[in-house]
Amino acid sequence: MADIIEICPLSELPPGARRIVEWEDLEIGVFNCAGELFAIEDRCSHDDGPLAEGEFDTDNCTVECPRHGSLFDLRTGKPKTLPAYVPVDTFPVVVEDDIVKLEVD
Amino acid sequence: MATTPDTNVNEAVASENASLQHINADYTERYGFHDAENYLYKAPKGLTRELVQKISEFKSEPQWMRDFRLKALDHFLARPMPTWGSPSLAEVDFDEIHYFVRASERSERSWDDVPEDVKKTFDRLGIPEAERKFLAGVGAQYESEVVYHQVNEQLEAQGVIFTDMDTALREHEDLVKQYFATIIPPNDNKLAALNSAVWSGGSFVYVPPGVHVEMPLQAYFRINTENMGQFERTLILADEGSYVHYVEGCTAPTYSSDSLHSAVVELIAKPGARIRYTTVQNWSNNVFNLVTKRAVAETDATVEWVDCNLGSKLTMKYPSVYLMGERAHGEILSIAFAGHGQHQDAGGKIVHAAPNTTSNIFAKSISKDGGRSSYRGLLEVAKGAHGSKSKVVCDALLLDEASRSDTYPTIRIGEDDVDVGHEATVSKVGEEQLFYLMSHGLGEEEASKLIVNGFIEPIVKELPMEYAVEMNRLIELQMEGSIG
Repeated sequence: MADIIEICPLSELPPGARRIVEWEDLEIGVFNCAGELFAIEDRCSHDDGPLAEGEFDTDNCTVECPRHGSLFDLRTGKPKTLPAYVPVDTFPVVVEDDIVKLEVD
Repeated sequence: MATTPDTNVNEAVASENASLQHINADYTERYGFHDAENYLYKAPKGLTRELVQKISEFKSEPQWMRDFRLKALDHFLARPMPTWGSPSLAEVDFDEIHYFVRASERSERSWDDVPEDVKKTFDRLGIPEAERKFLAGVGAQYESEVVYHQVNEQLEAQGVIFTDMDTALREHEDLVKQYFATIIPPNDNKLAALNSAVWSGGSFVYVPPGVHVEMPLQAYFRINTENMGQFERTLILADEGSYVHYVEGCTAPTYSSDSLHSAVVELIAKPGARIRYTTVQNWSNNVFNLVTKRAVAETDATVEWVDCNLGSKLTMKYPSVYLMGERAHGEILSIAFAGHGQHQDAGGKIVHAAPNTTSNIFAKSISKDGGRSSYRGLLEVAKGAHGSKSKVVCDALLLDEASRSDTYPTIRIGEDDVDVGHEATVSKVGEEQLFYLMSHGLGEEEASKLIVNGFIEPIVKELPMEYAVEMNRLIELQMEGSIG
């Protein structure tokens, strides 16, 4: 059964913004790409380093791993460049009553 | 009269010596000379933001490439120097390097148009004589830029692109933009970041679907200036079902202070394609050779690196293949020869990221006169890469007590039903082997050469014939005076 966690009011996560949240032992990055919200696990599949604090490209909806430069598609979690080659986990994001919520399991 | 084993050995040695006979010069005479500097532009030593912008302006690059360079420079400056590999890495002084030297107005397609000094150098090194004989295309890079480029007309008619990277960016920008730095992003490591900031020259190859380039394409890299930094950038894209063999060679003058060569090479083999990439690296012993080479093999594709390292002060280079599609195959054949004052830190990496993929790594190293060779390798089988097979063999030959060999293999296996083997040997040229050959009438030096040649033969035989002869010559050169 999936849990729903509340992140913040939508006004606090405008286009181009991101937020890193903790849930149990997971860290998750939530991104607003030009109005669309996406969430990925904050852990690069290449060497397990933090990912979501990397450079966020809102036009292409990607984040770049700050450690070795792999570019991840925020929509799918798939790496678009090496050295990472395994997708990272993605999580559904919904907005209800102007509150951003994350579905985790 | 029946031949005896003795006459067989003598004949073998006689033919070996005949092919090596005219090589008695040392490196300084054969490759280590340098020309007068009649350059159009030579950047002062040191790396600045202004210089990076200037390189981009010189080349009239699009804005995205300028931004790419500047971002890479930030990565380079932010990253610490690696602390693994070799202690001599700490000796690289980035402030003492000329990062850009322009020797010629443009890349010429006619040999006659290449500046006289530069032409003389390449003539002396046997290029483009080789082009006429056995190559499908040649590129010659002198300092920072390619001064000559030519490709067989028939191949051009079939849609094969073989040009220097600067020209490719101007003439095939969409293709370059789509694939450039997708295999090795600028922030992959400090040296890749440096290359991404100041890259210049290198080759761009595109082979259309189904086209087989039967003869090799060759690039030759030459450093002339003291304290030069050469940062070529190569991208090879073999489309579905195509085949190409790319060969590169490199030399530099012998100087008392250090130069830096830091290339980035990216290969992409689309489904069913095959790329073979052969390197005969023979930099002079004052060159730091710090290179990142990586390939992707898609479904049913094959990538082979044949990597021969003879020269340089320190080489750190681990060509890698990511097997991304089912049944892809990767192969790394590596020879390293470390003489006095040299450290060859070489090896390879294979990542099995898809089911039923196969790979081999065969690495051989020879150390003499206090030289150090290291094998550093990674074999990774990812979760889901069922039925993968891999074999890693690394052999080291030590020619004296003062020399050193190390092996640093890493193996990570994420699946149960795979077949992975690793063998490593370290051996010395034994008295018994020498005694056996000498009892058949060979001198000690000849016997020792024969043992070394036999040791590397399984890899040398994979080189095109002309390179195999050259490789044997070079080994011969390195072995001079090694006895007594």
